[in-house]
Amino acid sequence: MDLDAARQTYIIEARELLEAMEEALLALEEAGDPTEPVNAMFRAVHTIKGSAGLFGLDGIVHFAHTVESVLDRVRGHQVALEGELIGLMLEAHDHLGGLIADLQADQPESPASRLQGEQILARLAPHLGGGLTKAAPQAPEAPEGAVREGWHLSIRFGRDVFRNGMDPLSFVRFLGTLGRITHLTSIFSSLPQREAFEPEDCHLGLEIELDTAASRAAIEDVFEFVREDSLIQLVPPNALVEDYLRLIRALPEEERFLGEILVAGGCLTAHELSQALAVQKQEARQEGARLLGTILIEDNAVPPPVVAAALDKQKKAAERQTQELRVIKVSADKLDRLVDLVGELVIAGATAHARAAAAQGGGGLLEATQTVNKLVEEIRDNALSLRMVQIGETFNRFRRIVRDVSKELGKAIELEIHGAETELDKTIVEKLSDPLMHIVRNAIDHGIEPVDVRQARGKPESGTLFLQASHEAGSIIIEVSDDGGGLNKDRILAKAIERGLVRADAELTDNEIINLIFEPGFSTADAVSNLSGRGVGMDVVRRNIDELRGTIEVETAPGQGTTMRMRLPLTLAIIDGFRVEVAGASYVAPLDVVIECLDLAPFLESEENHLINLRGEVLPFLRLREVFRIPGERPRRERVVVIQHGELRAGIVVDRLMGEFQTVIKPLGRLFRGARGLGGSTILGTGEVALILDVAQLVQLAAEGTAAPSRRALAAPTH
Amino acid sequence: MAELIKFSKRQTQVAAVKVERREQYLAFTLAGETFAMDIRAIREVIQFGGITDVPLMPPFIRGVINLRGAVVPVIDLSVRFGRAATAPAQRTCIVIIELEQGEDTLDLGVMVDNVSEVLSIGESEIEPAPAFGSGIRSEFIAGVAKVGDRFVILLDVNHVLSVEELSEIIG
Amino acid sequence: MLRIEATSHEGEPALLLQGELDIYAVLEARDRLGHALHEREALLLNLSGLEGLDTAGVQVLVWLKGEAARLGKTLLLFAHSPAVVEVFDLLQVAGLFGDTILIAPDAHDGQGQPGHRVSTS
Repeated sequence: MDLDAARQTYIIEARELLEAMEEALLALEEAGDPTEPVNAMFRAVHTIKGSAGLFGLDGIVHFAHTVESVLDRVRGHQVALEGELIGLMLEAHDHLGGLIADLQADQPESPASRLQGEQILARLAPHLGGGLTKAAPQAPEAPEGAVREGWHLSIRFGRDVFRNGMDPLSFVRFLGTLGRITHLTSIFSSLPQREAFEPEDCHLGLEIELDTAASRAAIEDVFEFVREDSLIQLVPPNALVEDYLRLIRALPEEERFLGEILVAGGCLTAHELSQALAVQKQEARQEGARLLGTILIEDNAVPPPVVAAALDKQKKAAERQTQELRVIKVSADKLDRLVDLVGELVIAGATAHARAAAAQGGGGLLEATQTVNKLVEEIRDNALSLRMVQIGETFNRFRRIVRDVSKELGKAIELEIHGAETELDKTIVEKLSDPLMHIVRNAIDHGIEPVDVRQARGKPESGTLFLQASHEAGSIIIEVSDDGGGLNKDRILAKAIERGLVRADAELTDNEIINLIFEPGFSTADAVSNLSGRGVGMDVVRRNIDELRGTIEVETAPGQGTTMRMRLPLTLAIIDGFRVEVAGASYVAPLDVVIECLDLAPFLESEENHLINLRGEVLPFLRLREVFRIPGERPRRERVVVIQHGELRAGIVVDRLMGEFQTVIKPLGRLFRGARGLGGSTILGTGEVALILDVAQLVQLAAEGTAAPSRRALAAPTH
Repeated sequence: MAELIKFSKRQTQVAAVKVERREQYLAFTLAGETFAMDIRAIREVIQFGGITDVPLMPPFIRGVINLRGAVVPVIDLSVRFGRAATAPAQRTCIVIIELEQGEDTLDLGVMVDNVSEVLSIGESEIEPAPAFGSGIRSEFIAGVAKVGDRFVILLDVNHVLSVEELSEIIG
Repeated sequence: MLRIEATSHEGEPALLLQGELDIYAVLEARDRLGHALHEREALLLNLSGLEGLDTAGVQVLVWLKGEAARLGKTLLLFAHSPAVVEVFDLLQVAGLFGDTILIAPDAHDGQGQPGHRVSTS
């Protein structure tokens, strides 16, 4: 039994549950039917507490217990969840998050945290209405409270279990190593009489009480090899009476028979059982038998919230069914491995195709490899799409931050999200989270003005923060905009001069001034608010974006607002490439930036200024030979590949055009981090290594005219 | 590219019986001089060939090669030592070295004139680097050993191939 | 391998089971023991020779018990070998049969005292 793995799973699940709880709380603050959010919150805390109990995490159980009780009352309409209580619940949520973080870091809870927790609990206490604290949290007030501390396992082995080489005895023995079997009943109720009895059929059923610290998964794993053919049901510790009753109803044997087994095992008291069953029987005789749930409420055997929870559980189980069908969790490592393999497949496919082409043997080999490659392309696209996650998840996290920070600063800020369903490679999303956070905080801290300032400026009281994601020709664009005061050019310039980043007499365009904020050592915050972090600057943000092979640009208008626009590649792994050759060596450009390919000569406008004229549009070009300082004579006939990055277009002049192909990007490695013009490498079908061009850098280079010495003269700032 | 020799990483014997620890070193020549490096870092030795040039790199970067699907950089040690570039000849080899830098391992290829033999050198046979030398930076040299009638310069691979330093030179 | 031999117990005819009563033997066991049950008023089974017993074996015995009840006859299991005791204990089926199980003095799960009769119902 791997306790560590189980614990990790618990931490991950607890975090997800906490997110769900937070979402629900924030949803409550807007109008609408509170039923579902309240239920969601209750479920979240209930599950966190229950599982914590399993791992003996008393601190979490202790804290979550009261929170759950309050939520219980909310569900029962005895307490209203609004206003201050919502804020208190958010604090409770944060505290739980802290406890989980401690668990992850393997740290004991600090006294400060303990104190904070008790304070929150103290403030929650009045909402408990003085009295509904339950000793055993889930057990209804039954005359003799059954103590349901163990797992209940209900197993009906499939007919072929013996034939498949299994012996139920070995499972029982193994279970004994996971914990203590406090009670076990063998059931042979399906055993036929006379000769109808096939001795090689398995008719064994087991009802087991197991005291164990093992997780549900560990217990289920014991029965891995018979899971397919057998009926295996687990009821966790501290389950409701209803859970057992439902279990009973789900099993083939007679209810009272089963009920008595459960009583013998300690799950139910005889009293609970006979009551529930007796009443049910009576009702069933009459027309319109009531739901067991209703019976229990009306006869006052179980307090309403508990029944509601039970019914809820059923409903949730039904929901979970449908949801489970739609989504499965996959280990990130497995996914990476799959993508790696697909990458190798892509290369192998290209190799096969290259060999087929060289072989010239005909006989349909070329078509065959082409067919294979088409399928490989599809698999590649599918595999890559598995790595894609919606950016909405990341965007949503900012709701809470915007809410808290704006309250703290006394500003009114609304968050609008567009394009949440835009998908990105998961690695990119992970790495984007920090820079995005920083930009958002800047916008809240410095961008959007306080209410009075906005009013004075004739703006709506509430400032708006836009988070927007969209696709654009092979890239993904993420924008963070605010309708605040915009960046102050003069202050930026002054600060930069003060920091020694530019000379006092330097002449800079507006754009250049704004971009100074990305220089290391720059920060416009007069006071480093504790919200914006350690005074970490936009230079770190830009570096993060660089590492993602992306770009970031700023648009701002004084008094109106600022937009930060990030452009990122869609995928890091496999691309469709376009191969070119210079002096016999191959280079690859991502296919989606290639607009068209031409012979250079007909479109050459000015060799001296490195310009081409593309049907009236004059574009700069650069010659790879020159940029890369490759020795040798240029061929008489050169080609140009027109590429586009963002709004800039340029031509890349090469010797030969080699065509499209798909390939895996292999990073060049840490050694080549400073390499210019290159964004990785790839292995061709021939085994040769080809270098991937960094289109962004090259286009920038072309636009700046550094490719052609004479153009530098043209690029003097006018202004 | 044919593989000439392949070593397992853990070839060093910790001889319980012998009095002295002997380590194994791979000896190779560079512009006529014999050097050696600790075998533990060496993964394999391959024939020189199939190098793709990487433009705008300092001269000691010879390029990159395809090593069974991985793109591995190749460094010309001679240039690294401030001498003339190695001219590829029939016996020119690339020694693939596994470097541990922090938490990652990095594969690096080193281009040498040829690879001669594996030497077993005991601690007592190693002398510290001489104050004057063949013009190689002292941090690069782990020591000098006398093998038979010649001197073999033992290289400190981690310094020679410090990724920190190299990537800084690259910019 | 299962061997079934005629023997006696306290003057009455009985059957001695030896070897393994497992999935490989259950077909034969069902036929022979079922037949034997039909031929007598009471089927007495001496289990001292059983070295192995698996779930399928337990199942046959349970079936036999059911058949005996249906036919109004008696099934008596006695002299349970340690292997049988262990399996009966794991599956908690002693109560199903209702026989007295004598536990040998050196049983190493510490269940019994010498000569201790475990009465089950």
